[in-house]
Amino acid sequence: MTTYSAPDQALVHAAIEQVWGSMLFEAADPWPTGVPAEFETGLQAHIEIRGGWNGRLLLTCDSAVATQIAGALLGIGPDEPVDEPDVHDAVGEVLNVVGGSVKGAIGGSMTLGLPGVRASASPRSSEESLVVSWRGNPVHVQIVPDAELAGDS
Amino acid sequence: MSIGHDAFTFVRELVRAESAIVLEPGKEYLVESRLVPLARQSGHASVDAFVADLATRRNPSTLRLVVEALTTNETSWFRDTDPFTTLRQSVFPALAKTRSKREIRVWAAACSSGQEPYSILMTAQDTPELSGWKVDMLATDLSQEMLDRARKGEYSQLEVNRGLPATTLVRHFERAGLAWRISPALTSQVQFRELNLVRPFPPLGKFDVVFLRNVLIYFDLATKRDILRRVRQVMAPDGHLFLGAAEMTMGVDDAWERVPAGRSSVYRIREEQRTCVP
Amino acid sequence: MRALIVDDSRAMRRIVGRILVDAGFEILEAGDGQEALDVLAAHDGDLPVLACVDWNMPVMDGLTFITEVRKRAAWRAITLMMVTTESEQDRIVRALAAGAHEYLIKPFTGDALVEKLDLLGLTPTTVGDLV
Repeated sequence: MTTYSAPDQALVHAAIEQVWGSMLFEAADPWPTGVPAEFETGLQAHIEIRGGWNGRLLLTCDSAVATQIAGALLGIGPDEPVDEPDVHDAVGEVLNVVGGSVKGAIGGSMTLGLPGVRASASPRSSEESLVVSWRGNPVHVQIVPDAELAGDS
Repeated sequence: MSIGHDAFTFVRELVRAESAIVLEPGKEYLVESRLVPLARQSGHASVDAFVADLATRRNPSTLRLVVEALTTNETSWFRDTDPFTTLRQSVFPALAKTRSKREIRVWAAACSSGQEPYSILMTAQDTPELSGWKVDMLATDLSQEMLDRARKGEYSQLEVNRGLPATTLVRHFERAGLAWRISPALTSQVQFRELNLVRPFPPLGKFDVVFLRNVLIYFDLATKRDILRRVRQVMAPDGHLFLGAAEMTMGVDDAWERVPAGRSSVYRIREEQRTCVP
Repeated sequence: MRALIVDDSRAMRRIVGRILVDAGFEILEAGDGQEALDVLAAHDGDLPVLACVDWNMPVMDGLTFITEVRKRAAWRAITLMMVTTESEQDRIVRALAAGAHEYLIKPFTGDALVEKLDLLGLTPTTVGDLV
């Protein structure tokens, strides 16, 4: 049980597909290459994995997308309002389930932190992100090993 | 936004009429979760709106899609629970008393992705009377793709959540990335083979137990009758046949008799028919 | 029949709650293990028959909660089901050893939760089966 592998984008993408397909009833297609995957004001959820591999997963998207994700998770209509705490909670929970799936798949004895959510602009650099499409809008997912956090606020 | 009463009633009646499958109260969430993708695809904001529209227009192809969404791709472990309880509590112990070779033969005749034959094997392992016995399991399906999946024995997280007790999961499966792999001790016990039930069977020998569940519903009466007659020919005279909850032999092939078992039934060849099976 | 849902995510409590309401349960909720113990203490005369318990929560995690519940004879009749994204084999074994009766891994579909209720003998007897 001590063997593990670092999470890669293919694994994280497969985990997202499973979570979106079963809990949000949406596909998670890869973002088309060559199309800018940008947005103005967004939301960033994060969750830590500790143990054999140390780092965190970040999910960043536009606020409107976050609201839609929350609506899909809660099973409410597209026009019904969702208040901000519910949006944060829902997006955090989606990443929590993705994180748990990823942690279980890489093996080893690791622990999962509690998800957190904060307001955020676009992710640092889209080249290093996995970008998936939520109803035609970009959602960035990054795998950030601890070493890369040096200097990050 | 749980599905409304009217929408649930409409869907329940539709499915009952088309498939003889009864969606009991308490299955609202199931109905809703299966229909959300269809509602989305057809541009409706909710399942209720989708069903209301369907109820007005009765578009046959959409009706068909709804029935299919609620009746097919059922790949739970220990599906319906009762048949497996019956196996463990009465069928297997009865066979254990009468089979001197300490071996029983089982046929899963529409095994799909393999949950059924593996569930039968796990049930046999949980039957004390069969301790040390050999279970010779044949699993067949029409689809080579399904057989490949079943043979591989790898199931997604979502699939192992379906009806598999946690104790059984940790006993018989191991993690394989995001998925779970069933133990080689089980996969090696099953012989998988392509077989079309509509055509004459190849030589199969005689079986003590046959699972032919939720497959007759797709055939017309004459085909059902023919399949049941040919199953009789590959059945040990005192063998046990399991059908789906919505299926029966009555009025189709009356050489079978229904034996109540728990909330469901087992079918056996009538005493007077046992000697004259060709 | 009452069910207690213990999860720090409100969204998850709502999702699980909706399925359980459909299955005929009245719902109690708690956001962590300690709050859940308090809820049980406050309902000593009319305990839930089922608790669906997340693993990772602030204040008190689900495994500790289950261990605490199993210590008390008066709460022995409560059926405990982990509902968590923790999905390693040794986690499941630990939860079962601590006294959990079932284990449902997130993500799950509504069908999966209903089937777990079937396994636990907690589905309502089919009242209106005849139409």
